[in-house]
Amino acid sequence: MSYETNDLVTEESSLSERVAAAVVGLNVLSVVMGFAAVFQWTEVESEFFGVSLFNLYGLALVATGLAVIALGVVSRAGLVDTTPDRSAGLLTGGLFGLIGVVTGGLFASQTLGFGVFGWLPIALLFGVGFGVVTVLPREDIGSTLPAGALSIVVGALFLLNVVTTEWEWEPEGFSAAFTGPVVGPVLTIFAGLVCAWAAAKAHEGFGTRGRQAGAYLLVGLNAFGMLGVLLLLILFVAGKGWSRMVEGVKFGLFSEPAFWFQMPGLDQYVVFEIPGVWFYWPFTMNGYSLSKDVMNGVLPSIVGTVWLVIGAVLFAVPLGVGAAVFLTEYAEQGGFTRAVEIATNGLWSTPSIVYGLFGYAFLVPRLGNTTSLLAGQLVLGFMLLPLVLITSREAIKTVPKEYRDASAALGVSQWETIKSVVLPAAMPGVITGVILGVGRIAGETAPILLVATGNLQASRGPQVLTNFHFTSSPPFVANPALLDSISALPYKLYATITAGVVSSDPAFGWATALVLLIVVLSFYAVGIVSRIYFRRKLEQ
Amino acid sequence: MIGSIDTRVRSARTTVEDMDRGAQFVDGVAVASVLAALAAFLVAPAYTVFPLLAFFGVTAYGWKSHQANTAKLLMFLMTASTIVILGLITVYLVLRSLPIFQAMGLDLLLKTNKPLWSTSEGVYSLVPMMWGTLVTTILAMAIAAPLGVAGALFISEIAPSWAREVIKPGIEILAGVPSIVYGFIGYTIINTYMMEEFKLANFGSLFAAALVIGVMSLPTVVSVAEDAIDSVPESMKSGSLAMGATDWQTIKSVTIPASFSGVSAAVLLGVGRAVGETMAVTVMLPHQQVLPDPIYDVFAGTETLTSLIAGQYGIASGDQMSALFAAGVVLFVTVLGLSIGSQLIEAHMERKLGGSQ
Repeated sequence: MSYETNDLVTEESSLSERVAAAVVGLNVLSVVMGFAAVFQWTEVESEFFGVSLFNLYGLALVATGLAVIALGVVSRAGLVDTTPDRSAGLLTGGLFGLIGVVTGGLFASQTLGFGVFGWLPIALLFGVGFGVVTVLPREDIGSTLPAGALSIVVGALFLLNVVTTEWEWEPEGFSAAFTGPVVGPVLTIFAGLVCAWAAAKAHEGFGTRGRQAGAYLLVGLNAFGMLGVLLLLILFVAGKGWSRMVEGVKFGLFSEPAFWFQMPGLDQYVVFEIPGVWFYWPFTMNGYSLSKDVMNGVLPSIVGTVWLVIGAVLFAVPLGVGAAVFLTEYAEQGGFTRAVEIATNGLWSTPSIVYGLFGYAFLVPRLGNTTSLLAGQLVLGFMLLPLVLITSREAIKTVPKEYRDASAALGVSQWETIKSVVLPAAMPGVITGVILGVGRIAGETAPILLVATGNLQASRGPQVLTNFHFTSSPPFVANPALLDSISALPYKLYATITAGVVSSDPAFGWATALVLLIVVLSFYAVGIVSRIYFRRKLEQ
Repeated sequence: MIGSIDTRVRSARTTVEDMDRGAQFVDGVAVASVLAALAAFLVAPAYTVFPLLAFFGVTAYGWKSHQANTAKLLMFLMTASTIVILGLITVYLVLRSLPIFQAMGLDLLLKTNKPLWSTSEGVYSLVPMMWGTLVTTILAMAIAAPLGVAGALFISEIAPSWAREVIKPGIEILAGVPSIVYGFIGYTIINTYMMEEFKLANFGSLFAAALVIGVMSLPTVVSVAEDAIDSVPESMKSGSLAMGATDWQTIKSVTIPASFSGVSAAVLLGVGRAVGETMAVTVMLPHQQVLPDPIYDVFAGTETLTSLIAGQYGIASGDQMSALFAAGVVLFVTVLGLSIGSQLIEAHMERKLGGSQ
């Protein structure tokens, strides 16, 4: 957004613009410092340049509040070139009115101690006052005056030591107390955002351009704040769990004898050695251990999760893809298709714990009456089915119609066309959908909690492949490993909380969380990257 | 009505007549053996193997001799499996919750005077849990809906294209963080924080749980709302810009109204996620089956429907187990309603925007 500035008023307007930009910057800084205090990166008692944090908040808020009001007044007096509307608008007025109601209500009921009939009129009076001040004057006064006043009032609370780190407020009817170290930064963040919004409007000279600047500032800050919080969350887990996860990792080279022969004539062996790499990662390669010398690891849980995922994929992918092909290629729009669509969406949105209950009532009694790997695989398969169906259907729909027409024109039958044209073309999309779905079910805890898990102290994972054997009675094939309860990564993490491991050894929990995050997020990352790749290829 | 059924039956009959005897045989035996397998699994699971073997045998034969026909049949059976699974879930949840509905009647959903949940007295009322679910969902959506929609607006309308290409996949990856990880953070960090900074009497509160659920459902709301906003036809926006409106005016008066139904479907989806969220609340709430006193005290520790099931399935039996299934029914019906609601809204949106392209 670049607009030509009017040369006649360059000097004044650029000064006021510079002030406005400085106000925005200072307010964003206060917001960041507010968040730092809420997240406890900075101690609320700490001092900067000999000024306590709360006084610093106060100074910044009062200064920016005064500056914002000054910007409005300068614009109203016509000293700078601005394009304000006649009013700040009813929406802005309503929001400021709401702030007024809350402020007035809290002030009258909590500080002055009025009853309902005392504080209600005062709150309404404050609200109407704020709203009127916002709506009635021209936009430049209407949007700066209330914002600046709010900022100054909040700043004064800090500077006059009304809100200190020892301040506390216990509202009636809530079993919580609001304390200074939380309320102070939160107030700062709020007032800072309001003030930054007003200053951003002033920077663009109010009017439609000003409103756009104000709105973009808030929306942009929100987006970056959101991403920041979510990324911090992951980094936080990584930071807490990393050292324990990689503790005792050893690797190196070794050489082993590959082949040897006896030297004819000499009574000696000639040995050829080849180099190899050995690698030992105790946290992911050990099972549960009772002895103190061997590190406790999560190998059985990793193996359990892998088997759960394999079983679910084997069950759900053929079903889902087949159903998707039938719905897109064969079925006509009608009652059956609609019923399937409703069923798919219903399955997709069914809460995971409900799947768990269903498995508990339907599968567990029929599969040996105990929690078992097989039950877990089937329940996760039920959950994966709608995901695979929906994504495969989308993928098959995106295959261009020309492909089918061209194939049909060559005299190829419908089934042959599906087999050799449609499915190969849709495969990338299908695979991406499966990977994303797997990422989701790999981290599921609630359903496997009810149907699959239990064995926390296993020293090794389920040995599915080696345990198949035939029996003489139906069903003729038995596999105890499939019918035994298992552990899985999400369950292991849940168990650290329920079994109290968290209080005795929190690092173990964080490391487990990190391993789980790595497993699940790498599925997602691979799925998303491959989707972007195939989409680009399709667009070429 | 009858006429259309009649024609359908006639067309089905002609299709059957068109097929040769072998294909008819394969179809018939395969369908019969699948039904038999299902019945056997319901009654005597060990004997499921016989109809299954028959099914595999006949489909293997069919694949050899009538591949196209057999493939179509298999895919039809796969499609029907979704309806069967949903039906089985419904039937089993309802069947297992019937005893408690018979014992408690409507008190199960309406009783508000003490005792609310007592195994020794055999009294089970889901009211505190329903209230807990309602409160956490409202608070969580108060966080996730405005922030998520604003984030979606930023991604699809405001951000430069390079930022969009980074942020959109980033948000989708973040949607994959398992809920138990959020629960673990909530349990170790946020619950402790609330105890220290808010001087809570109990470890865990509806407020803290709702905070975590809100953050957790943010990425879902963002990415679905972004899809909805993105689907507003470019021509509508260009028209507004050509009239001299600023970007923000276009967003406010064209994009948001046009994508309103899609965005509300996204929010409904987020609500569904928040209602069904289990692990975070299970580890964060203190599992007290009581109503907060006073009722609006969001800092009290109670229980939600999901955490009730996850917390008690291991110790429950008889009526108590049945009450847990009743909690499942309430969840299932709520979320199914939300899902159908959002589908209706989406269909409405397609009708509205489809014609203008």
